[in-house]
Amino acid sequence: MSIQRALITLNSLENGDRGLAVDSRFQVIVTVMYLVAVLSVPLADPGMLVWMFVYPIVMAEASGTGYGRVLVKSLWVLPLATVIGIFNPILDHTPAWHIWSVTVSAGWVTFISICLRGVLAVQAVLVLVYSTGFYTICTAMQRMGLPAVLTTQLLMVYRYISVLLQESLSMSRARAARGFGCSSYPLRLWGMMVGQLLLRSVERARRVHNAMLARGFDGALPAPEPKGLRAADWIYLAGWIAAFALLRFIDISGIFGNIIDPAS
Amino acid sequence: MSHHYIQFNDVHYRYPGGVEALCGVTFRITHGEKVALLGQNGAGKSTLLLHTDGLLLPASGEVNVGDVPVRKSTLKLIRRTVGLVFQNPDDQLFMPTVADDVAFGPLNMGLPPDEVKRRVDASLAAVGATELAGRPSFELSGGQKRAVAIATVIAMEPDILVMDEPSANLDTGARRRLLDILHGFGHTMLVATHDLDLALELCPRAIVLDRGRVVADGPTATLLANRQLMQSTGMDIPVSLSAYLDSLLQGIGGGEVGVEVGARILK
Amino acid sequence: MHMADALVSPPVAAVAGVAAASLLVVATRKVAKSQRTDIIPLMGVMGAFVFAAQMINFSIPGTGSSGHIIGGILLAAFLGPWAAYLTLCSVLIIQCLVFADGGLMALGCNMINMAAVSTLIGYPLLYKPLVKYPISTARIMAASVLACVLSLEGGALLVSAETVASGITALPLGKFLMFMLPIHLAIGICEGVATGLVIAFVQRYNASLLSGAVDAGTHKTSPRRKQVLWGFGIAALVLAVAFTWIASANPDGLEWSIEKVAGVAELAPAQAPATAFMPDYESHFAGIVGGVLVMITLWAVTMLMFRRRRQASAQRIK
Repeated sequence: MSIQRALITLNSLENGDRGLAVDSRFQVIVTVMYLVAVLSVPLADPGMLVWMFVYPIVMAEASGTGYGRVLVKSLWVLPLATVIGIFNPILDHTPAWHIWSVTVSAGWVTFISICLRGVLAVQAVLVLVYSTGFYTICTAMQRMGLPAVLTTQLLMVYRYISVLLQESLSMSRARAARGFGCSSYPLRLWGMMVGQLLLRSVERARRVHNAMLARGFDGALPAPEPKGLRAADWIYLAGWIAAFALLRFIDISGIFGNIIDPAS
Repeated sequence: MSHHYIQFNDVHYRYPGGVEALCGVTFRITHGEKVALLGQNGAGKSTLLLHTDGLLLPASGEVNVGDVPVRKSTLKLIRRTVGLVFQNPDDQLFMPTVADDVAFGPLNMGLPPDEVKRRVDASLAAVGATELAGRPSFELSGGQKRAVAIATVIAMEPDILVMDEPSANLDTGARRRLLDILHGFGHTMLVATHDLDLALELCPRAIVLDRGRVVADGPTATLLANRQLMQSTGMDIPVSLSAYLDSLLQGIGGGEVGVEVGARILK
Repeated sequence: MHMADALVSPPVAAVAGVAAASLLVVATRKVAKSQRTDIIPLMGVMGAFVFAAQMINFSIPGTGSSGHIIGGILLAAFLGPWAAYLTLCSVLIIQCLVFADGGLMALGCNMINMAAVSTLIGYPLLYKPLVKYPISTARIMAASVLACVLSLEGGALLVSAETVASGITALPLGKFLMFMLPIHLAIGICEGVATGLVIAFVQRYNASLLSGAVDAGTHKTSPRRKQVLWGFGIAALVLAVAFTWIASANPDGLEWSIEKVAGVAELAPAQAPATAFMPDYESHFAGIVGGVLVMITLWAVTMLMFRRRRQASAQRIK
């Protein structure tokens, strides 16, 4: 990921589309439940994973994010899944599926599963972030009892990432202007650049600390206002958990297959 | 606390292991005055400003705000009275959204939630940034960041407003809007700046600092028109003023705008 | 080194998650208790710094490829171990949530592998005792290379163990390690050199920044103990190299030795993940094809259903 791409991601995220009026605490819980459901599907059963796409598709569209965007972005995980997963078809030749005249080995079946899991898991996280935004997730997590030190830390890092990325971008542009088309740095030069960035960061932290003190900061962090839950939030939570249970414990692919192709 | 004055009495400050940044600074700013603090980089302007808020404490000498001496024990009170706006708004806006940032000070003061909300709305309105409330700080423009940084300080309802380079890095439009906002404030004001035109327009009085010493203190226009002083402290006479002075010297109309502005100010 | 969700099973994710979270709780307590109010903005900005530093690549000498640091030892050298752990974890959380780098379920694993091993083991056990006054560049470089190699090899070991324990790969642990350890030995040396260069740079220009972390809670180390530590560090490096060499020469032997040492045979259960249970074939396959078609239809339907909302939000962006 280039520095510029990271900056663009940051900007698009908080400009994002907030179509959902559901409490973000429940969105976090539903995401985790979904991930548990997806990741607990046995590798031998990619059919079940196919039906799991219901959640990201519906949520991406309902929140106004658009599933296309989520799908494209989630495909970035495939190289990593391939690096680990490719050993399975190489090592495991046990015949698993006989589809008409073709025999598919168990290695390939599990490989497909690994890829699907990877894509689904990334999509779930993307749907969560695109439909809530990082700031909202942080306050939601603080309301769920995460320590203020941690949530403040997350918010501050997030706040200053774009500032420091800008700084390192201008540093590397200054270098690119005099470099020879090389995008990475010799180690010694890298050490000096990053060292400078570090000194500047510490100096910035000192100024931020001054600004905080000037506004009465004494080490205690303000707590978020408590927020009530509405009936719609509970329906959202219960609805999705029921759906995940259904998708996870009932072999829809098998039933569906029998309906389409009762001969076999 | 009806007297919102700042008094520096022979203030000395030396950075650890470094040079002496302030060597015997003495001045008094009375209630309702707007004062510009001028001088080159390294003259000690920022160091002086940090003393008004107790972020630095003098090595010797004394700083008084109202009738309260700035000491470790009085910091809470001092920081409610003096609002300090830093040079780089990115350092000042450290909270996720604009509204959170403006609420940070009032929350630290222990105000009840509805009062916090009232102050956030009021101070954002005062700088014309009401519609920015829910936006994250990092995507604001330079001028918007500056306005919000001022709002974060106004929200604590200070009596004295201290600003470090408020017009740095602003384009002309944003600078104009900033000046309009500042004109509207009734606070006692101390503004450190390189922008001499801003000093001329906003502050009737100026203090010139050079290598940690006050070398001049008087009406802004008079000081800025003093070529000798300006040269010895490494500053340039502002364009508006120098055009007027030239026209006086040569007895002909210099830049018309400059003449008009200069004449109005020298009056 | 980021683990993805695809590579963990819920039990492994849960165990690592609980471990990482409890360390995180300890870290937040330690930070909240500290008397320094400036630690809050310092951790915040340093987190952003590590994030930015990770995006600047250095070229790896003699290979033509490039790499980046993780930054555990670097952070710990400035913030001390617990604040560094908290900071690095916050970076991992943001990478996961904002940039979809490493998954939500794998977060616990990533925190342990990438943050805890370096800040809570590599730093206090190797780096801190080895960098003692008088601080010299050579000492900084040696200590940071040793600490980084240990941290990365430790991390790689955990990544392999977690993946195998999740039953994801058909690769047995020994072969997996043979694949992971040599790579991470090289990465560790690079990270160590890079980290050492930055610390040495800061040491030259503003040594007081480092003394904060180095001095805090340091008790005198006797010369004898120091020798032992150097010995330990070098032994660790030699072992890592030897281990890697043995692994590539004789993977089965390695697997055997790990079972012996760890005393757990369950470390390598995944000869062929769950091949035994395979649902029936042709009809199932038809079901999958049907499922894909249903999903595409669902997408089309929801897109039409929510089209108005989407247009509204698109307009809001403009």
